[in-house]
Amino acid sequence: MKARLFRSRRAYMSLAVRNMQNALAYRLTYIMGFIANFIVLIAMYALWSTIYEGRDELAGMTWMQMKTYLLVAFICNAAITFYSETRISGKILDGSVSIDLLKPLDFQKARFAETLGSTVIEGGLTAVIVIIVLLFTSGFLKPDFAHAVLFILSLGASLFVKFGIVYLAGLLCFWTTGAVGIVWARMAVTSLFSGSLVPLAFFPGWLEKLSLAMPFQGIVHTPAAIYMQQLTMTEALGAFAAQCAWAVALWYAGKLVWSRAVRQITIHGG
Amino acid sequence: MTFSWLRKPRRTFFLYRRLFGAQLKAILEYQSDFYIMIVSAVLTQLLGIVFLWVVYNRIPDINGWTFWEVVFMYAMVYLTEGFGSLFFEGTWRLGRIVNNGELDVMLLRPVSPILQVLSYSVGMNGLGNIVIGIIMISQALIRMDLHWSLGKIIIAVLLVVTAILIRVSINLAANTTAFWFKNAGNAFPMMIHNLGEFAKYPITIFSLGVQLLVAVLIPFAFISFFPAYYLFDKSSAPWFWIACPVAAIYCAAVAYTVFHFGLRKYESVGN
Repeated sequence: MKARLFRSRRAYMSLAVRNMQNALAYRLTYIMGFIANFIVLIAMYALWSTIYEGRDELAGMTWMQMKTYLLVAFICNAAITFYSETRISGKILDGSVSIDLLKPLDFQKARFAETLGSTVIEGGLTAVIVIIVLLFTSGFLKPDFAHAVLFILSLGASLFVKFGIVYLAGLLCFWTTGAVGIVWARMAVTSLFSGSLVPLAFFPGWLEKLSLAMPFQGIVHTPAAIYMQQLTMTEALGAFAAQCAWAVALWYAGKLVWSRAVRQITIHGG
Repeated sequence: MTFSWLRKPRRTFFLYRRLFGAQLKAILEYQSDFYIMIVSAVLTQLLGIVFLWVVYNRIPDINGWTFWEVVFMYAMVYLTEGFGSLFFEGTWRLGRIVNNGELDVMLLRPVSPILQVLSYSVGMNGLGNIVIGIIMISQALIRMDLHWSLGKIIIAVLLVVTAILIRVSINLAANTTAFWFKNAGNAFPMMIHNLGEFAKYPITIFSLGVQLLVAVLIPFAFISFFPAYYLFDKSSAPWFWIACPVAAIYCAAVAYTVFHFGLRKYESVGN
């Protein structure tokens, strides 16, 4: 039993490593994707700096907090790229899921291992670059040690939450014939409720409450709030716990949907 | 032989309509997809409006630009994107067409390859973008209480047409890089596409480098900013709207030339 467990863990590891290598092989694609996202960051940065001209604070945030927020949100959003996301739905749409069904691996764990593999390279590089900028240039907020540690943990939990949502959206492709529409809709909803579009504090009260009641906030809002020390240590631990709870809930929701979705498969030809 | 279509606009339009119609029929076979694409486009666009709404709830203007003026710019960006997706989605498939060797088939047909590429696919999301875009643009123009004359209406329509031409030309030129980058997928055109982000806001808020980039080199600003500048009477020089059609001709010429170069460089992937 133990040996089997070990062997399957090795299989998932090798999936992750293969995707790391894949991400490294398509360096040019990665760099251009990074620049594409960076362009959006520059536009938002310039826009917010104009908005803050002649103002000390908006929605309780100073310009210094806002620019820190933009960079932290940039790290959180870099975790799972569009390519990783469409790889999951792609498997369902092109039918290669039928081959995955024959493998002695859990589909969800295997996809998570793959996503983790590409994230280590793609998201990891962005995170390292941005964290260096945050810590070693003036003008950005810097957390104390305890919050910094909790931020890193929260960033990890953010990845779990995002994978949970991405995976659930990917499974919807069992009922459709295209992926792009679902990915876009998923991105729009996530962007709004996660705090990626605008800090949740800017929302009117009802919308802020609604966002805080959903799992999306765990992707950007929670790690950012921890980084910026807007939460006391107890509150921060509570927020982190909520993030983890959502991650687990989404994982099991993924399992549940998978067991239903897999009955939808139609295999043509043979 | 290849570029005779410029001399025969009626035949070209007829062929485009037939090719587009065939693609449209194929798409409509998958109804759930059709709706999902439209809904996703509408959601994405509303997201931008929600952003502006949240920001303008706190402040009266951004650098002198009011809510509806920026909504107009947003809507122009999405409207042109919508036309690009609905009628010319094929530009985004050029990478695949080249890599799969489907271009060989196109070159064998007695129809211009540029026309075949443009009509290779239909993006139903475009319909969502066009509908919401038109609603937003008309709302913005009504709320801003502008003084309309016949001349201004004609110019406004012309500016929308040139904006679409600019967008499609940039899409085509960016995707034509598929002839050179064999394996980069859509990453390069997506990068160029994202420069359109700068066109959603008044470009005066950006640094000089960015302004030059989107006003001269890759003139996204002529899709939204300059039309807004003209329509909302922000300029003291009323004739400057002429720059928009000039930019459109420039973009179309560049796209055409780049595509032509790409074709000449093209080597079949073989079989």
